[in-house]
Amino acid sequence: MNRISIPFSLLVCLLVIVSCSGKPEGASPSGEEAPIFPDYKEVTIPANIAPLNFSFLGEGKSVLLAGDRLIRARHGVFRFGKRNWKRLVSNCTDGEAVALTVFEKKDGRWISYKPFNIFVSSDRIDPWFSYRLIPPGYQGWQKMGIYQRNLETYSEKAILTNDLTGGNCLNCHTYRNGDPSKMVFHARATFGGTVMVNEGEVEKLNTKTDSTISALVYPYWHPSGEFVAFSVNKTLQAFYNHDPNRIEVYDQASDVVVYNVRTHEIAWSPLTKSEDRFETFPTFSPDGKWLYFCSAEAVAPMPDKHREVRYGLYRIAFDEKDMSFGDSLECIYDAPSDSASVSFPRISPDGRFLCFTRHGFGNFSIWHKDADLWLVDLTDCSVRPMGNANSDDVDSFHTWSSDGRWMVFSSRRDDGLYTKPYFTHIDDDGNASKPFLLPQKSPGKYYKSLMSSYNLPAFTTGKVEISKRKLTDVLRKSPGTDVKVK
Amino acid sequence: MNPFALAYREQQQLFIFDKTYILGTLLKVGGLATLLARFIVQFFWNPAVAMVLTLLLLLLSAYMTWAWFRESKKDWKIIPVCLIPAVFIGISLSDNCLHFEYLVSILLVQAGLLIYKGIKTNRALWGVLLTIILYFTAGSAAVIFALCAAFEHRPGCKIGVFRPAVIILAAAVCGITAFFTAAVPTWTDAFTPSLYYDLDATMPKVHWIGWIILPLLSVLFLLSRGRGPFICGLTLLLLTFIPAKKISDKFEAAQPRIGHIFEYYTHNEDWDGLIKACEKAPWLPRTANYLNMALAWKGELAEHLLDYDQRGVSGLVMTTQDRAVDVAQAHIMFAMGNVAAAQDVAFNTLASLQGFCPAMVKINAQVELMRGTYEVADKYLSLLEKAPHYRKWAKEHRRFLYDDAAVEADPLLGNGRRNLEAENHFIMYTSPMTELFPILDANPTDRRTLEYGLCYLLLAKDLNSVKHFITDFYSSPDSPPLPRIAQEAIVFYSEYSRNMEGVEPFGMDWCYGHGVTPETVKRFEEYKKAAVAGPASLKRFRGTYWYYLVHTEI
Repeated sequence: MNRISIPFSLLVCLLVIVSCSGKPEGASPSGEEAPIFPDYKEVTIPANIAPLNFSFLGEGKSVLLAGDRLIRARHGVFRFGKRNWKRLVSNCTDGEAVALTVFEKKDGRWISYKPFNIFVSSDRIDPWFSYRLIPPGYQGWQKMGIYQRNLETYSEKAILTNDLTGGNCLNCHTYRNGDPSKMVFHARATFGGTVMVNEGEVEKLNTKTDSTISALVYPYWHPSGEFVAFSVNKTLQAFYNHDPNRIEVYDQASDVVVYNVRTHEIAWSPLTKSEDRFETFPTFSPDGKWLYFCSAEAVAPMPDKHREVRYGLYRIAFDEKDMSFGDSLECIYDAPSDSASVSFPRISPDGRFLCFTRHGFGNFSIWHKDADLWLVDLTDCSVRPMGNANSDDVDSFHTWSSDGRWMVFSSRRDDGLYTKPYFTHIDDDGNASKPFLLPQKSPGKYYKSLMSSYNLPAFTTGKVEISKRKLTDVLRKSPGTDVKVK
Repeated sequence: MNPFALAYREQQQLFIFDKTYILGTLLKVGGLATLLARFIVQFFWNPAVAMVLTLLLLLLSAYMTWAWFRESKKDWKIIPVCLIPAVFIGISLSDNCLHFEYLVSILLVQAGLLIYKGIKTNRALWGVLLTIILYFTAGSAAVIFALCAAFEHRPGCKIGVFRPAVIILAAAVCGITAFFTAAVPTWTDAFTPSLYYDLDATMPKVHWIGWIILPLLSVLFLLSRGRGPFICGLTLLLLTFIPAKKISDKFEAAQPRIGHIFEYYTHNEDWDGLIKACEKAPWLPRTANYLNMALAWKGELAEHLLDYDQRGVSGLVMTTQDRAVDVAQAHIMFAMGNVAAAQDVAFNTLASLQGFCPAMVKINAQVELMRGTYEVADKYLSLLEKAPHYRKWAKEHRRFLYDDAAVEADPLLGNGRRNLEAENHFIMYTSPMTELFPILDANPTDRRTLEYGLCYLLLAKDLNSVKHFITDFYSSPDSPPLPRIAQEAIVFYSEYSRNMEGVEPFGMDWCYGHGVTPETVKRFEEYKKAAVAGPASLKRFRGTYWYYLVHTEI
């Protein structure tokens, strides 16, 4: 048996080598786009991204010509391999492309699909990003966790999963300018509280006060790390019978406050906490002197009038010396006058652009099919859609990379329900490239079997090192510090 | 042990043949026990199989207990003692919050003990190694192994101090490591059976017995030094039996056993079985929900509604505030034709920390097919295809993907799709009945929804709305025949409308024009005479709407 099997194995190896050593001869061009998932055609990627393996959706035997290398699909997946990928990408200078052609053997003859490019940018992407994995639930949340992923490899680690904290809801993880050592997130229900991670120290906060309508909700760090702006919201949700948007999450009331990390105090301006307006989604400017937020005229009763709620984009001056606010609001984008609504404003690190999600009404854009990413040029307050980044389905929550060259956002473009993270390159003028989906070893299989959405994707400049044990113990055991009103 | 409660375990998980799932499960503390338990439980879709498999495993456990304690191959006298742990494990398994891993982990521990018993040299080292392996594969049950191995009675051998100390220390180190690496949430989970209990739920004390009894017997065997373990065991049995029985009786009474039976018949679509199971107490709202759902699926809701003791609209659908865990409500909403509401609930109950609920995955797949969101439906079908018991169902439904014509031609899916065309509104926001009206406006041909709507109004004794409902949905030539109880209601209302303030009187002509038959009118005359004659004469009118209207308090 052994005598036969050794030469036979050698022969098989030789055949494999021969079959992989040159492109299929005499392949006739089909003129069609290659049927692949994810759609990596003409995307722009950073040189330090993990290999962009992709699945071939055709039925025949297939090979991929990548540069001068031929890769055979295994179980329908083109895998580049670490070294091959590095070689392919490192050969490209800024803006150059890796040329790719997919061949398929159909009825005994090879055909070639339209070649496509993957453009390589010399702008490196932050090496980590974190997100919540949660079923795109309608009311219950079941299993969930906050995870982080190394973008240069396929390595994924849990920061905290709710099986450690009584199956509760973990949400709103946010970092100060992508600094993994300064993080805030909330736990709701069992072992609830807001968790502040500050350079290895972990603190639990009880953030409901008699003067605010709820515990603290949507956070954004001040660049100094001394303050965090939060909204407080009375949020409800309802399920449509057949609307394409399925769910409406709406506020019955909301305000914006600022929390002082050292004194455990919150403060606000009457202009950020008014009875006749809903204020939400606060964000600081990179210099920390302005607090931006979304604001809508309050309507009642809700949810009957939920389609009438439209948020505009405003800002108010903020003085970190005494935690005080300016006397007036400045409207940056009057979206309601465009019959639109704004959510999730996020400013680029250089302070020039503000990216927001624009949709027809309301504030919870992840359930709005018309939600798209838009950009305000803060030098002249001009507003425009981020053309290449958007799709026909939801394109929503986004964060900038630490250098402002990349943006990650949530999109439901693939199946309309399960949100996935897409990355887009932003050039000097704020133009977005065609985005690419987070790479996986076997993306087709992975994303099809994934029963969770990627929620709140956020870049970090390094790995979040705080241990799960520490976070768990603080949530389970600490009584928490009560937040006071200044 | 109740076979239906065991069978319900199959609905609390979904074992899938998938490399990522298998590896992901194996890499957790107690992962092998979890994986084996889930593998076994996937066959529990048949209650008889569930019972037989569980009993066989309990017998195996009893055998391994005997193999551990016996001093010779003919040590028959200790057999009664060796049955004790299995009995208590069996009692504990009646609690569906206690995962099947509880039994499997003890079996793994017992297998470890038998391996350990066969080892002759370096027993301390092997004891430590087996403890570590068992902690990783079986979880905190490795503590049982450590204690049993530490207090092992070997005829002619001294127990010593070193060997027991290092083995117990190994278990302690494993638990401490598991805690500090956050592989387990709490210290309790690291060292006790609560690892196998629903997350952060309070575990009944009875589950401790099956856990500690093996080490306890080991200590007793050691103390008796082989001289009378039978007596020791018998004493133990007597000591534990009375309180254990008390605890288990109390514990059994607290279990929602009846719900497990209803769920079994529901997800197997055995409507006759479900009706039979519900007949014992149809007045209980949740029982009535299942009963009426079974009647609706058989197309007999309006016809046989009052054959049972109905007590108001909660018998049709009992809505709860917490829709996150209400599997029954998903089934009922689905039967009512309110597919969006069914999906709202079904999605919330789709997954737990243990895994997916197959019946809820099926509802989600069906609703996505109705919606035409085929990519999402494909996701759920692909998941079910990886589970052997659901593969066939999933494959059969694959033909509907991206084929609108096939969906619309299918009686269930097509009907659901037409129901979804109702005027857009928020579901579960007002009363279930309010939501049925727009569905019926969009799809008046949905017989189940129609009967649910009619029966809702009848049970609510809202005769004016019944009249309007009949006008709207039972007046066209294509309408189905007016059910008997609706005829009875409208004849009654016609009679009394003449004397009621604020009601526009209407006569028999209207009734005859809307499906009332002369027989019904004739019986109503008889009913009126019987009502004057007294309660005894009314007996034969039980099951009529008149009897329900006058004699049932809601």
